[in-house]
Amino acid sequence: MTEIPKIDRKSIPKTLQRRQSINGTFLIAPYLGHQAVFFGYALLWLVFLTFHRWNYLSPPQWYGLNNFVQLFNDQTFWLVVGNTFNFIAYYIPMVLILSILFAMGLSKLRYLTTFVALSFLVANVASGVSYSIVFTKLFSENGPINRFLWQSFGFTIPWFSEPQLAIFSIALMVTWKFIGYYGLIFLAGIQGIPKSLYEAAELDGANRRQKFFKITLPLLNPSMIMVIVMAITLSFGIFTEPYMITGGGPMRRTYTFMMFIYDNAFRRFTTTGPGYAATISILAAALSFSCIFAIRKIMERDVEMI
Amino acid sequence: MKMATVFALVLVFLCASLWSATFTFWTAPNPNQEAFWKRVIEDWKAERPDVVINWRTIPAAASSEEAILNAIATGRGPDLCTNIFSGFAAQLIEAQQLVELSKLDGFHDLIATRKMEEAILGWQFQEKSYVFPIYSNPMLFWWRSDILQDLGYDQPPRTYSEVYDLAERFAVPREKFAIEFLKGRNWWDRWFDFVTFFYAATGGQPYIDINRNRALFGDDRGKEILTFGLTLFQKGWTSMDMMDNPLYTGHLLGQLQGPWEMPRAEQIFPKVFPGNIWMSMPPVPDDYPEDQPVYTFADTKGLVIFKNSRNIDLVWDFVKWVFSNEEYDRLWMEMTNMPPVRSDIAINPLFQDILEKNPGLKAYAEAIPYAIPPALTPRTIEVQDAMTVYMTEPLSLQRGTVDDILRRVVREINAILF
Repeated sequence: MTEIPKIDRKSIPKTLQRRQSINGTFLIAPYLGHQAVFFGYALLWLVFLTFHRWNYLSPPQWYGLNNFVQLFNDQTFWLVVGNTFNFIAYYIPMVLILSILFAMGLSKLRYLTTFVALSFLVANVASGVSYSIVFTKLFSENGPINRFLWQSFGFTIPWFSEPQLAIFSIALMVTWKFIGYYGLIFLAGIQGIPKSLYEAAELDGANRRQKFFKITLPLLNPSMIMVIVMAITLSFGIFTEPYMITGGGPMRRTYTFMMFIYDNAFRRFTTTGPGYAATISILAAALSFSCIFAIRKIMERDVEMI
Repeated sequence: MKMATVFALVLVFLCASLWSATFTFWTAPNPNQEAFWKRVIEDWKAERPDVVINWRTIPAAASSEEAILNAIATGRGPDLCTNIFSGFAAQLIEAQQLVELSKLDGFHDLIATRKMEEAILGWQFQEKSYVFPIYSNPMLFWWRSDILQDLGYDQPPRTYSEVYDLAERFAVPREKFAIEFLKGRNWWDRWFDFVTFFYAATGGQPYIDINRNRALFGDDRGKEILTFGLTLFQKGWTSMDMMDNPLYTGHLLGQLQGPWEMPRAEQIFPKVFPGNIWMSMPPVPDDYPEDQPVYTFADTKGLVIFKNSRNIDLVWDFVKWVFSNEEYDRLWMEMTNMPPVRSDIAINPLFQDILEKNPGLKAYAEAIPYAIPPALTPRTIEVQDAMTVYMTEPLSLQRGTVDDILRRVVREINAILF
């Protein structure tokens, strides 16, 4: 690795230092301003709301820790926590395996690599609302998939009517959406693995399976952590698909944090309201950061390719 | 010289702005309604140039309610707003944000002029009126007349037994269904299934006692409706997940529809609508008296005046000016295909040519006297959410007996309302 030469600040004249400092401040000021307004202010307001009861229409009233107490006693909150982990249990293994397979397949392609990669990326840029409608029709009781299953095998699958299957079906849809995107991250990781490692392993008599599990997979660790972090963030923030397809049902099993927050903020503003919604969002964020922290602690490895 | 002209113009503009009274008016973000209000505002400008209306559609958001709440919270709310549904109105009343219209000068005269003495009762909150209903969309059952005729029927089924009989002849589990018993899993879907069936089965009785805060459907009628639904699900005669447009593709015989479906059906399925559709009131229990009218649910929305308005009298003048003129009700019906809240639409000569041209709309107009709005409770969403989780979903999944399901949902709703 090339070492970056250290700058001896004393060697720089004072006026130049000041000018650099002013220029630097000037350059980052728009970013800082933007963050202060759209992140800092919003975050402060969110924290403020968690300790208040508000209905948009009259001034917020001090509510202490009551929002937290109410939330911990709210069965729906625990149901939503369970739903989120249930979704993660289906989604992360599915999306990891399929996007690694996609990336490996793509890395073996000699022609049309860009075309295939872009074709999969189309799913990622597709509107959530439109593909939710398409999947609803595809998976309906007398839709094409079930009709085929009924005619060929004599059974149908209640994709969105059976509570557990509904979570799986939504995980399946979201997996379809993200295979292309995550696959490209894995592809970059695969392309970064030096060929010499495989050649050395082959000389030592390693078979394809050993090469995958001993070289490819460990060296994909940074990509994998990145994908898992993004997948966890998505699992805590999913809204469009369950809102459009199942409305949070059946039996509230696809009811997500975002739907819970939205309902309390805007639909139940006279009973629970934005203060309660802010408390849910703070706890959801804390839970998602904890998951990310735990995953990184357990799985992250220092991978160096010299 | 130029500077002087510009200065004079600015001065005139400023003076005009200061002297003319203004108020803000928001309407539903719907192209047909937008076209209607545009025309009305133009007429108002000609009539009252001294009063400027800042008119716009409700800003884009996930829902009208969200947009209105955000606007009020940030001090940019309207003085007058349409597209208010009963539950949201009740929440705003509870939060003391709405002007009591029944106290305003000329309210009762306006109600009498617009022939809505009966309709306004359904919108009362503790015997006071805060919402002025604009339109009322009764829900009617649409039946595939061509298939029914092939099966030997000359009219749509009236009772639950007749629906069973029809289902036995037509339905094939997982392929073809008799009726759509449940509309979906969202809270608002309960208006278009259970509440409609309840109004039909009970002669329009309320399902929530808004004064004593309790559910009223845990009786024999409620049991009959749920037994009807459960039978349909058990036998595979209905489904929660049907493919798109099953009525028009011939996979479904009967479905509840509002008048807003007519233009879409006519445009996309001209071979089916209007030629092969019969419209009727929803099916009723077998012992429902034949000489009694059948009631249905009315999807109705109204307008409200916000208390923070500085020009309540002016806003009310505008409301009276619009709704005391029946020509505007006619224009509304022509442009939106939705019946205004008037009990005389079916008999008033002013509307006859529109109804003659559009038999579907005539059927809806005739149903208006028997169309009941939803319960005016601020807990509408929670109540109907509980109906979904504890009643319609266990029913569709066939989990539990009708008695257990009914007992549980009534208990949950009473807890919410308490």
